[in-house]
Amino acid sequence: MDANMAIFNGLLKGLGVTLQVLIYSVLLALVLSFIIGFMSLSKWRIPRWSATLFIEVFRGTSLLVQLFWLYFSLPILGIRLPAMLVGVLGLGLNYGAYGAVVVRTSIRAVPKGQTEASIALNMSPYRRMRSVILPQAFLIMLPTFSNLTIELLKGTSLISLVTLADLTFQALALRSATMETTQIFIYLLIIYFIIAYPITLGFRWLEKKQSVGRG
Amino acid sequence: MWSWDFAISILPQLLQAMVVTIEATIVGFIVATVLGLFWTICRRSSIKPLKFAVVAIVEFVRSTPLLVQLYFIFFVFPTFGITLSPFSAGVLGLGLHYSTYLTEVFRTGIDSIPKGQWEASTALNLSKIKVWTHVIMPQAIPPIIPMLGNYFIVMFKETPLLSAISIVEMVQAAQIIGSNSFRYVEAFTDVGVIFLLLSYPASLLFQYTERRIQHRFDLSVKASKIEEDHYATNK
Amino acid sequence: MPRTSDASLLNQEPYVKYRNIGMKFGDTEVMKGINFDILSGEKVAMIGPSGSGKTTLARMLMTLEKPTEGTIEIGGKLLWHRRANGKLVDANLKHLRQVRGQIGMVFQQYNLFPHMTILRNVMEAQVHVLGLTKKEAEDRARKILKKVGLEHKCDAYPAQLSGGQQQRVAMARAVVMKPKIMLFDEVTSALDPELVGEVLEVIREIAEEDEMAMLLITHEMAFARDIADRVVFMADGQIIEQGPPEQIFNYPQHQRTKNFLSRFSTEFH
Ligand SMILES: Nc1ncnc2c1ncn2[C@@H]1O[C@H](COP(=O)(O)OP(=O)(O)OP(=O)(O)O)[C@@H](O)[C@H]1O
Ligand SMILES: [Mg+2]
Repeated sequence: MDANMAIFNGLLKGLGVTLQVLIYSVLLALVLSFIIGFMSLSKWRIPRWSATLFIEVFRGTSLLVQLFWLYFSLPILGIRLPAMLVGVLGLGLNYGAYGAVVVRTSIRAVPKGQTEASIALNMSPYRRMRSVILPQAFLIMLPTFSNLTIELLKGTSLISLVTLADLTFQALALRSATMETTQIFIYLLIIYFIIAYPITLGFRWLEKKQSVGRG
Repeated sequence: MWSWDFAISILPQLLQAMVVTIEATIVGFIVATVLGLFWTICRRSSIKPLKFAVVAIVEFVRSTPLLVQLYFIFFVFPTFGITLSPFSAGVLGLGLHYSTYLTEVFRTGIDSIPKGQWEASTALNLSKIKVWTHVIMPQAIPPIIPMLGNYFIVMFKETPLLSAISIVEMVQAAQIIGSNSFRYVEAFTDVGVIFLLLSYPASLLFQYTERRIQHRFDLSVKASKIEEDHYATNK
Repeated sequence: MPRTSDASLLNQEPYVKYRNIGMKFGDTEVMKGINFDILSGEKVAMIGPSGSGKTTLARMLMTLEKPTEGTIEIGGKLLWHRRANGKLVDANLKHLRQVRGQIGMVFQQYNLFPHMTILRNVMEAQVHVLGLTKKEAEDRARKILKKVGLEHKCDAYPAQLSGGQQQRVAMARAVVMKPKIMLFDEVTSALDPELVGEVLEVIREIAEEDEMAMLLITHEMAFARDIADRVVFMADGQIIEQGPPEQIFNYPQHQRTKNFLSRFSTEFH
């Protein structure tokens, strides 16, 4: 019973860190997705090419490599960041690249007739994006963003490898302290699942709400 | 600060570790394919409890981190008397995790086969096995080859996690180099560049075959969009 | 409204002027040297075989497709260009938006905004383009929706409407902006035959009541003959022949026109 409590308290501490990193990096990834996604749709070459470079570099090299690079290399280059920031930055940049592709694909998926109708109504490019294209693209993005958020949640476990005391890190620490290996890891898996499930449900709810009336 | 000499001098060591990375990807992919097909068949089975159990397993494995699953296999299995080498544990974890993605891919392929093919098979009185091996699979697999290829790349990029259970793949090798020389920048930059040089051309190749195959099989635009999203999500 | 006589048409300065228009898609030239006018308030029907360039001509005016050669003037202003130091340069967005305000278009595929209610579809551009208040925009939207017989559908979404109803909303949405010229591109050809009538009826009403000019691309010959002041026949990227409906339909001068119209002959005799 006592061991159980100790395990629980230990994991709970890690849960806080995991959730914190999750929220910050989701926000960073979301902002980057839209900025890079819009850049990649630009009619000018420079933003378009920079966006492609960003996307391919962060998708093409592995997340763990990026985290280690930030963790080990930045201090040597004279940039000192708190471990938490390294984690958020690594996850945000990596998933931001994937998100940018989702934004780009979704905006392109809105039928061309919608753009033409907006032009025929003499809407400004801003208004066209804001009132017509984005609301429709947003609905297309939702299921994929839902999956991406789950991927990001799973990705947060990697920050334990750069010494951030998240759920996974705490589990490893508890394992060497208590040797209750089986119990600890079963709890750990269940906790991750319990975080993931409401995220999926939340996105499904949002999707349903957004698609009211749209056949 | 940055030393080209050092960055080049460690390449042989890293390329040696790359062999392990590629081996793990290939074996892991085979495991994922076999398990993925198994899940797919179970999900089509008429035995309700089996179907339900498999759906639950797939959902659970997909929603929890690969890293934790690797630890689970590596640390928990031995307490039940199953002791695996790090490499076996690694490819089993990698394969199990991605089998839950591949089962979706297989399902897409099978679902895209028109109902008429099943009905024609019944009309010809083909055996169940023959239907699968001669009619369904030959049609279901080619269109999903690009998606499978894409997951191969995804798994390749996930192999660094195997370093956590002491497999000396590229990231582990880089860490060893770094701790001996304190030249982490060169070591990890090299690894990143190697990953990019291998995965980017491969993904271009699969994008190209995807377009070719789509053309040939005349998959709808919508299907291609879902595929693209699929890739986007499941790096 | 009495039909404008040909004589009075001749004395008027055209409202829209296509001058020496050429169009290439990639390497294929689809039209060349087109000159074409539309007067203020004139109702022009455009007919012709598939691929003859009717849609392209309308889309150029709606600023959806830039002609590769020539100029278009509307209300005395260049559409795609602007004069700078006596030379023609490409117009910027500001200029396009200014001129585009005179033009409205109804599409074959309706292109309603699927995520907005019918009412909002008709209000959106009034608020954000004309700068009306929500209240004014809503009043006008309800009024025009009533006119097309859809006031009871204000809160529905496009997907919940039939094709004919959607097309009527699309017309309300365009008319409410009070353009000086309205383009209709085969607005009934995506509809089931039994829904065509209700849409044509709305067009007829607009044509009879409204002062605005119309360019009506259509395969409904009887309807074209009925409401048009002038009929234009296009083929192979050329304007082959144009004139009052009686003349074009009853005494076509060119063999191509005759061949084309013979396919519809049952409708006229
Ligand atoms: N975006 C485009 N790219 C390439 N060719 C085009 C494009 N749009 C039109 N064309 C070509 O231009 C020519 C004129 O097309 P347009 O759509 O204007 O004909 P139309 O008279 O409206 O025909 P329909 O009665 O079938 O609508 C056709 O040969 C068509 O193939
Ligand atoms: Mg047309």
